[in-house]
Amino acid sequence: MQITIKIFRYNPEKDKKPRYESYKLEAVETDRVLDLLEKVKGYQDGTLSFRRSCAHGICGSDAMRINGFNRLACKTLVRDTGAKITVEPILGLKVIKDLIVDMEPFFENFRSVIPYFVNDEPEPAQERLQSPEQRERFDDTTKCILCACCTTSCPSFWANEQYLGPAAIVNAHRFIFDSRDRAAAERLKILNDIFGIHRCHTIFNCTLACPREIQVTKAIGEVKKAIVTGSLE
Amino acid sequence: MGLKRNVGLIEGLRYQGKGPMLTYILHRIGGLAIVIFVAVHILSSYFGGNIGIFFNTFYMHWAFQIFIFFCALFHAINGLRIVILDLWPKLIEHQREAIWVEWAVFLPIYAIAVFVIARTALGG
Ligand code: HEM
Ligand code: HEM
Ligand code: SF4
Ligand code: SF4
Ligand code: FES
Repeated sequence: MQITIKIFRYNPEKDKKPRYESYKLEAVETDRVLDLLEKVKGYQDGTLSFRRSCAHGICGSDAMRINGFNRLACKTLVRDTGAKITVEPILGLKVIKDLIVDMEPFFENFRSVIPYFVNDEPEPAQERLQSPEQRERFDDTTKCILCACCTTSCPSFWANEQYLGPAAIVNAHRFIFDSRDRAAAERLKILNDIFGIHRCHTIFNCTLACPREIQVTKAIGEVKKAIVTGSLE
Repeated sequence: MGLKRNVGLIEGLRYQGKGPMLTYILHRIGGLAIVIFVAVHILSSYFGGNIGIFFNTFYMHWAFQIFIFFCALFHAINGLRIVILDLWPKLIEHQREAIWVEWAVFLPIYAIAVFVIARTALGG
């Protein structure tokens, strides 16, 4: 089938303003939008810039707005987009070139929630044991690949990039509800800030956008409740 | 080097957030409309005279009542959905169904209200 793909273009060395450029190409239903971008770059216009690495939905580098909605280009099939496709950078971050945005504010927010395991108690002789139920408690939020689909779909983040955003909260949740971790109280304090969790207005854009199907707003809701009740259960 | 943050009201509204984002937008519109509505309401009663009569006539017009009732009822029911999900985060997994339930509660009540308002307006 013949596809028309309209791509947001911006070259900081040449363009004053961003523009859109359309490309026509042959594709099959099972092609992914990432394949189309590779074809455009390889055969039609080598100046097109975008990020990608694994091409298998794991590295989280090719989040973009496809037909107005955040997705990973490598997980979006032509079958689901139709023959007319518009591709634009994710919202709320600075565009560096074409589909590439400056992810630093996103990662800064991520780093600020202590997104790693903390436990200074003396090490036991063997592993720090955990029951299957205790592991299950935070299973959903371990799946995050830091693609930023969620945070850049969030109207509260659009309004202010200092809002920590769903991805940071998901990664805080991952450790807050880990029975072996000891820094939950500290993380809850960080999230209880004016640019923290209370900027979430349960809009659910994040949950719909997450390519890993993480229940993002649920995780946020659990953290909100933990802050209000002071209890992790 | 590079563009500024690439988002504003228009870009935001273009985002295809679908049902949940729509309820969010309607909630803001409703909340704001009620604030303005009640402020004008109280001020016009306070100042009275011609202005007061003007606004009271305006407020009693059936088209305005249908509009403001939409704002108030939607805001209230949507607000209750948010409060319930906040209190029981486990339910958030079923947020899609929650929004269906919300519309299922909203639409009949609103339909009856519109019917009553219209009948009163037409029947005198
Ligand atoms: C279509 C809907 C409504 C109509 C037609 C209406 C009509 C009226 C009328 C005729 C009065 C008496 C004014 C006077 O005596 O000067 C009044 C008073 C008042 N209404 Fe409403 N109303 C409506 C909805 C609401 C809503 C939704 C609220 C609050 C959320 C509200 C809050 C008030 C208050 C606070 C007063 C007392 C204000 C005062 O006396 O200064 N009304 N309304
Ligand atoms: C049955 C009554 C009401 C309920 C259950 C209710 C519930 C709520 C809830 C839960 C929110 C927060 C939504 C969020 O965080 O996304 C909210 C926001 C808001 N409410 Fe209400 N509300 C009610 C009546 C009113 C009235 C009477 C007014 C105006 C005088 C009002 C004005 C607003 C405004 C302006 C916001 C937006 C705040 C923001 O943008 O963050 N509400 N409401
Ligand atoms: S649920 Fe909260 S974090 Fe997710 S998009 Fe909405 S406001 Fe943003
Ligand atoms: S929560 Fe989902 S959408 Fe957000 S960064 Fe992680 S994987 Fe991406
Ligand atoms: S290229 Fe790695 S997630 Fe899409």
